[in-house]
Amino acid sequence: MNRTLSPTRTLMRQLLDAVERGRWRLAASILLAAGASGASVALMGLSAWLLSRAAEMPPVLYLQAAAVGVRFFGISRGVLRYIERLVGHDLALRMQAALRLRTYDSLSRTTLLGRRRGDLLTRVVADATAIQDLVVRVVVPFSAASLVIVGTTVMIGRFSPGSAAVLFGSALLAGVLLPWLTQRLSLQMDAAAVPTRGRLADEVHQTSRAAQDLVAFGADRAALTRLLTVDEELRRIEARSSWARGLATAGQIVAAGIAVVAALWIGGHAVAAGELKPRLLAVLVLTPLALHEVFSTFTQSAQTFTRAGSALTRLAAVLDAEPVGRGDVEQVPSDSPGLVLDEVTVGWPGEPEPVLRDFSLSVQPGQRVALVGPSGIGKTTIAATVMGMIPAWSGEVSSTGRIGYLAQDAHLFATTVAENVRVGRRDATDEQISDALGRAGLDFPLDRLVGERGSTVSGGEARRIALARVLVDERDLLILDEPTEHLDHETAHALMTDLWRAVEDRPVLVITHDADVMAQCTQVVRLG
Amino acid sequence: MLVIGQAWLLSRSVVGVFETRSTDGLWTAGALLLAVFAARGLLAWLQSVLAHRASAAVKSQLRREVMAARLRRPTGDRASASTLVTVVTSGLDDLDGYFSKYLPQLALALVVPFLVGGAILWADWQSALIVAFTLPLIPVFMALVGWTTAKATARRFAVLDRLANHFADLVEGLPTLQAFGRARAQAKGVAITEDANRRETMRVLYVSFLSAFVLELLATLSVAVVAVTVGFRLVFGHVDFTTALFVLILAPDAFLPVRQVGVHYHDSADGVAAADAAFAIIDAAGDEPDGTLPAPNLATSRVRFEGAGFTHPGADRASLEPLDLTLHPGEMVALSGASGAGKTTALRLLMGFEQPTVGRLVVESDEAGALDRGSLDPASWREQLAFVPQLPGLVPGSVADNVRLAAPEAGIDEVEQVLTEVGADFSAHQTVGDDGEGLSAGQLRRVALARALLRLRRGARLLVLDEPTAGLDADSEATVLEAVRATGAGALIVTHRPAALALADRVVELEAVAR
Repeated sequence: MNRTLSPTRTLMRQLLDAVERGRWRLAASILLAAGASGASVALMGLSAWLLSRAAEMPPVLYLQAAAVGVRFFGISRGVLRYIERLVGHDLALRMQAALRLRTYDSLSRTTLLGRRRGDLLTRVVADATAIQDLVVRVVVPFSAASLVIVGTTVMIGRFSPGSAAVLFGSALLAGVLLPWLTQRLSLQMDAAAVPTRGRLADEVHQTSRAAQDLVAFGADRAALTRLLTVDEELRRIEARSSWARGLATAGQIVAAGIAVVAALWIGGHAVAAGELKPRLLAVLVLTPLALHEVFSTFTQSAQTFTRAGSALTRLAAVLDAEPVGRGDVEQVPSDSPGLVLDEVTVGWPGEPEPVLRDFSLSVQPGQRVALVGPSGIGKTTIAATVMGMIPAWSGEVSSTGRIGYLAQDAHLFATTVAENVRVGRRDATDEQISDALGRAGLDFPLDRLVGERGSTVSGGEARRIALARVLVDERDLLILDEPTEHLDHETAHALMTDLWRAVEDRPVLVITHDADVMAQCTQVVRLG
Repeated sequence: MLVIGQAWLLSRSVVGVFETRSTDGLWTAGALLLAVFAARGLLAWLQSVLAHRASAAVKSQLRREVMAARLRRPTGDRASASTLVTVVTSGLDDLDGYFSKYLPQLALALVVPFLVGGAILWADWQSALIVAFTLPLIPVFMALVGWTTAKATARRFAVLDRLANHFADLVEGLPTLQAFGRARAQAKGVAITEDANRRETMRVLYVSFLSAFVLELLATLSVAVVAVTVGFRLVFGHVDFTTALFVLILAPDAFLPVRQVGVHYHDSADGVAAADAAFAIIDAAGDEPDGTLPAPNLATSRVRFEGAGFTHPGADRASLEPLDLTLHPGEMVALSGASGAGKTTALRLLMGFEQPTVGRLVVESDEAGALDRGSLDPASWREQLAFVPQLPGLVPGSVADNVRLAAPEAGIDEVEQVLTEVGADFSAHQTVGDDGEGLSAGQLRRVALARALLRLRRGARLLVLDEPTAGLDADSEATVLEAVRATGAGALIVTHRPAALALADRVVELEAVAR
């Protein structure tokens, strides 16, 4: 538990400091939450006192103050809760914004191009939302509940210390110990469930991706059976976990029962012995009932804590990681553009093996050099090195001029075509954008939306938008990374024709294994 | 019921001590109370276990049906795989909240207020009146709040959705931004969008927390009102102390389930959304039953497209215009034509992945006459086909595992043999990761060709081969086409390559679909 706690706690502190008056906001939402819970406990206690006092049939005047109090608590609970939720969510959103900014900042400083990053980027996005859960569902309610427990215990302790002690104990049991135990238990079960869940996701993913092949070769039934076996396993693990959660809820109810019965027992004897005013007995007995209602969501919060804690720990690891390379590529115009690699060893920093050893290459104006090698050797890592985004392990890389890089999987942002092209040149005018699109062979209206990850354009069109991005600004040197990969023959051919026309006689380095592309180059260099 | 018993016991014993100033009977009351609490705990535990069981059963059922639906329509686009994973795993998990929290609370909300209200009515009708008056106000007010804010919220959600996804979009595009030297400059954009995101979210929350506010206010206020009125009536002796306490303890419980329904309402929304997503997938697959007739032997039967065309549901133009084409046994036919003419769709109809939306596809033999392909048993039909898709999908395991999809009983020698024949430069034991990771596009293609070759050795009578993506060598393909010749099987292939076109008996040009 401590392992997950400390990076999370450090991160929380830093984020609170990053938010304008963060600590004040946190204190305010905790106090408001405590006020709201306290109001419902006080409502019950004061009502009990009111009834007991009324049963003694005093003049009505004596009851007026209590009656006003009861109404006050009745209203204040709802009002305080409403304000608390707004203040708490506002704080959580501010902290999330701060966290996202830090995450973005830290990621933008480390070179990502050519890194085998798996699902790092998507996971980071999902993990950053955990801060909201942590603030709204864990930190604020737990701190507020602690205040209410202490407050109630002190109030009760003033007229029945024994009963207050039992109340405090039972509150610790229901509000701290039981949620903590459930968290431990579900931590173990989640640990068992995570790989099973992962396997289920893998099976679904694979079955879906290979659906045609499976069906064509009659292996679909078997795939379905395999999937259901994993499902069955997951079901067993989840059943155990629900068993534990149910037990915790039952424990909380019993703890409330113990507090109530103990109050009745201790208070009853005190009344019989004349040590306690009889009208306080009802207060003693009914207060625990209201107090324990505060804890009912705590087992859930404990599980939220586990999940949010591990998400933030993963994120903290990303934030604390040493940056690799320089992040952004640097663009310096040059009159004599070109690229020379001299005895260069290329590899991702920190990897055990380089991608390429002692490699020399020269690309000058008018030359189109194809770099050919088997898939999966890390050709994008070579591109990142050539662009100066990561250092070479040894040897000298000298590239002069502004580099235009056409990626195989260039990201299309969920905005207009024009904005996507403008990534290549911030201050591009609409005419310049239309011109770049035209040279890339596209006749798109500038305000057309490309959808999430380019979902409303075809693969060939996406590659052309990426090309327009390269063409929209002055480029002295071009690097093309698998320009025809995943395109069909005609599309690939048409794209390359337009591309060669657009680059004119600028030096070009093409990373490819397409024989047609190689044939169009002035020089072919084979790797490995 | 236990709650009522608990309230009754509590009020009795408190009043007992209050009036007699002695602890007589406290033992029995205490023991009974503990028993009541224990019983409530037991019921809560049972409810948790049973609710889980119900939701697990529904989840498993939906998982099976969703995946079966996916396999009935195996040609869905590849991007849908991640959506499917979300729906089947975390999406369906949202049903847990629906079954374990929302549904039980909803049931309680329908029953408990009447039970508890009845108990209060029996004890003190005036208090019951207050509860009966305020309780129905809760759903009414909530509906009113929801109704007046729905429009404003929906409008904001569109904005919110865009703002919320902006960060994800930027982070995913970071490598691209870095290549253009623009990543660091965008940090300011992140700060601005996040601020706008927070403002917009808070505006939505101001409104959406209102319903919870109304709920809390009405519930606690009416308890307060009950307490005060009962208190004053107690002073004047209109009601006795036991009843007063009993009513006070019970009043909050009348509101509790209704409040809980409100609290868990979003669980229900998530759960319903998850189920809807699952049903959408199941429904999209259609429910026409598979054919049952044994497929005629393709060595002696003709396959005929009779004006068979296909339009995707909801699409405004056809993927394949009506096609007339006859494949004779042992004949090798090449399909060519512009991109988008429906070549791949024609192969899909032949494989039975999709049914023609116009015309039909028949298998004609001298013994059985002309049979609609849809009426044939899919297993007996497909075992005569050797299929090579455009982008082969591989299952994780080894290369050999993937080749063996064609014939599970094939020995490793035979697997290596077919791999060698298609010119594989990698071992049959090489591991294949997710999405064919570890193999290049060319290697993937060769595994698929080796698989088809093995299938032909096992007596498949028709090769169905789609064109690979650009940049892959043609030699290994020719090997397979020669193998088809050697076995006397037929073939329907999509290709542009002159070598493959020369091998074909006939080339059929598909007209581009008019835009």
